[in-house]
Amino acid sequence: MVIKKWKLEKGAKCYNCGDATIHDVKVDQYNIKIRCRDCGFTRYYTFHMVDLPVKSDL
Amino acid sequence: MGVLFLKVHLRIFVEVENLGKAMNALVEAGITGFYILEYKGMSPQDWEGFSIKEDPKSAVRLIRDHANDAMLICCVVDEEKTDKIVEKVMELMEGEKYTILEVPIKRIIVNYKDKESKRAETWLLEKEVPCFYCGENAVQRVKIDMNKAKIWCTNCGAARYYLVKGVEKEGK
Repeated sequence: MVIKKWKLEKGAKCYNCGDATIHDVKVDQYNIKIRCRDCGFTRYYTFHMVDLPVKSDL
Repeated sequence: MGVLFLKVHLRIFVEVENLGKAMNALVEAGITGFYILEYKGMSPQDWEGFSIKEDPKSAVRLIRDHANDAMLICCVVDEEKTDKIVEKVMELMEGEKYTILEVPIKRIIVNYKDKESKRAETWLLEKEVPCFYCGENAVQRVKIDMNKAKIWCTNCGAARYYLVKGVEKEGK
């Protein structure tokens, strides 16, 4: 199933500038990007693994 | 000028089977926090007449064979509340073996984690979309730490894990 890119926001203290600002959080199947709107500091996460429950109807 | 409130380090030595009783007495008396140490102890009356062979093996064997399992409950309390707490313990522990020490505290220094680690808090976000695995329209939770992230479906529990790849700084 193709995952549509999510655009989320999080008000939090920036790891870099320390200000309480809005962070744009972009999530897709393989990557997460978090960017501070104030200082532009960006963190990139990449897909590592998936943990799937057993489907009972299979 | 501030008023000086004295604190007392209350130490209550009890036999291991009376730990619950002593704890109930302390909670009833209104203590707010405590810590417990498990130890092996010997009373002076048990000790009387002993002389230990000085080799380490004999000394250790003596403790194993003759010392009793005991608990030490410690708490820091206001001096003015100490009498009430001690009376409560004495009331509920009547007929049992115990020792209470009241040690005046000269100074208390408490240090918290530095600002850097406080800033590294975990973020929690939510998004209601069809799950990539079960297909149900359900809340997908996103948990983001400094070095990892997790996204999971609140309906089926399917989870995706991400690891930090890098950071990028840019000018304003």
